Amino acid sequence: MNPVHVLGRGFFTPSFPNLSAFRMGVPKSDAERPAVDFVPSRNKRGCSMLTLAAVEAAHQACDEAGISAATPALVFGSCHGEMEIAVAQMEMFQEDKGLLSPARFKNSVHNTGAGMFSIAMDNRGYATAIAGGHDTVALALLEAILLLQHDRYETAVVALADERLPSPLTHFSPHEALGVAVVLSRGPHPERSSLGALTLPQRRSEALFAADTRFSGNPVAPLLDVIDALESGGGGTIPLSLPGGDPWYCEVQSAAEARAQG
Amino acid sequence: MRVTPYPVTAYGLACGLGRNTTEVLEKLRRGERGLTPVPLEVPFVTVTGTIPGALPELDERIREHDSRLARVTQLGFESIAVELARAVSQWGPSRVACVLGTSTGGIWSTELAHAAHHHDGSLPAGFDYRQQHPFHITSDICRKLGGFTGPAYIVSTACSSSGKVFASARRLLDAGLADAVLVGGADALCHTTVRGFFSLGVMAEGPCMPFSADRPGMNIGEGAAFALVERRGTPRAMLLGVGESSDAYHPSSPHPEGRGALDAMNHALSQAGLSATDIDYVNAHGTGTKHNDSAESQAVETLLGREVPVVSTKGYTGHTLGACGAVEAIFAIVSIEEGFVPASVGSTPRDPEIPIHIPSERLEFQPRYVLSNSFAFGGNNCSLLLGRPA
Repeated sequence: MNPVHVLGRGFFTPSFPNLSAFRMGVPKSDAERPAVDFVPSRNKRGCSMLTLAAVEAAHQACDEAGISAATPALVFGSCHGEMEIAVAQMEMFQEDKGLLSPARFKNSVHNTGAGMFSIAMDNRGYATAIAGGHDTVALALLEAILLLQHDRYETAVVALADERLPSPLTHFSPHEALGVAVVLSRGPHPERSSLGALTLPQRRSEALFAADTRFSGNPVAPLLDVIDALESGGGGTIPLSLPGGDPWYCEVQSAAEARAQG
Repeated sequence: MRVTPYPVTAYGLACGLGRNTTEVLEKLRRGERGLTPVPLEVPFVTVTGTIPGALPELDERIREHDSRLARVTQLGFESIAVELARAVSQWGPSRVACVLGTSTGGIWSTELAHAAHHHDGSLPAGFDYRQQHPFHITSDICRKLGGFTGPAYIVSTACSSSGKVFASARRLLDAGLADAVLVGGADALCHTTVRGFFSLGVMAEGPCMPFSADRPGMNIGEGAAFALVERRGTPRAMLLGVGESSDAYHPSSPHPEGRGALDAMNHALSQAGLSATDIDYVNAHGTGTKHNDSAESQAVETLLGREVPVVSTKGYTGHTLGACGAVEAIFAIVSIEEGFVPASVGSTPRDPEIPIHIPSERLEFQPRYVLSNSFAFGGNNCSLLLGRPA
């Protein structure tokens, strides 16, 4: 199968609202939560950092790709999902009548980010939300690339996020919040330049796992490794799974290699 | 875009109607509901589609994943285990994949652990969030019980989850990444969904009445439902198309005219190369809420007119959330195989503003092409198109 092209990137982690801020390493004190200005306040009420980080990263990626966000397939994903809201609701079970906030409950589903983005961007096409444990990056990329190669979509947004689990579960997954996204195109885009290309994720027999040190094992961090490889211009084999998952990987091609392959 | 049809070669399930496929289908054929008083301590009255009897002890291979969801999953899995073993033997373990839907994973375990922590300040011994709660535990359980090693993942788009997995399976087969895909969905009762839907004001005290003028809201159900989609084999039914769309309208309410639902059904028809006049029967999403039933009926009327029978089977099972797409796909296949359409229980008195054909009695005919709809929060829509084998 032909590799798919990467047209855009998006990123958010608290204090670093985009990739350039992160690369420069200078924290911004007013960027603890993503602004997500393109979503009306009423639709952000009661939603989590996880949702906002994924939606912000998706928007940045579409912006950089220069494509309308109304048309791509939307593949959102997370290992843990909306645990901030889930645990907040468990607190509510213990209070007063034990009922939940409707605003929180409607934002508690795994596809909250995909829904929010589709509504904000008037995208009436395909939207999904994937969970694959420590293989979430690989399996979301797999779903997106299969959509490009075996369905009607020319472009797909892959937007992934995971955040630190709330108390009393924090010790099970204490990593920093991270949202990261890419826009993929089935082939070279006629009007947009490619940042490089990716192959369909595959598994290997030997254990080769991502060694995330920047985000203390955030399950979606391997997508940032893919972006790093694209930016370095070198390409190569990028592990997509954290230890405990299957050893998924993909091959990354630099922009020059991708252009040469067409 | 027309797609390759694949055979659905086996299915199995457990839900409020029964603990295995035989029990479930006996009650569906007889038109019996599977709704009983909610077994959780909650500050309101409702009924739920709770799996009857005690849930089984877990197989030792999956004991570390203990949760209500794991037990529900194992029970449903038992009804497809023999056919899955045949597929694993036929194709080889690495050529069998798994795509499952769930909306809340093993959250029940964390609810219990959180309550314990609230009372005595510590999580219970034996609670391990990583093994009991995350969504992917459901696919891990099936891999361990089924002995296959192909790609395995979860689609979690709330109530459309286990409809959409059929589309993922089709793409995995098209790409040659698998020769058989175990698809399905599982969700178990938990406080989060029972209290959550009550907080939205859409929960019925008594049994739900989809499409009725008196419909009081929905009931929650639980269940695990599985099907095998294979590259080739003896079909129970053919998977002809899966339409997927977004409303792009509201986080928790459907587009009032069912815009996204209509898109999904049209997309399924286009994948199958069929037209609206080919459809003989629709298994509706039909939750029994005012807005959902109204929006869906408008979409169905726009596409199919007023004559095609449209049935909600949630009056039998309750709304099994992440499992409902697969539960209802199986019911659609049973209609194709056995030549009957179940009554849409609770649908009388009919809502005069819903002018489509909602049969209040069982119909005796063998549909050739059936749409099975599943719609979800976020405006996420899925419509499966299943057909009688040639």
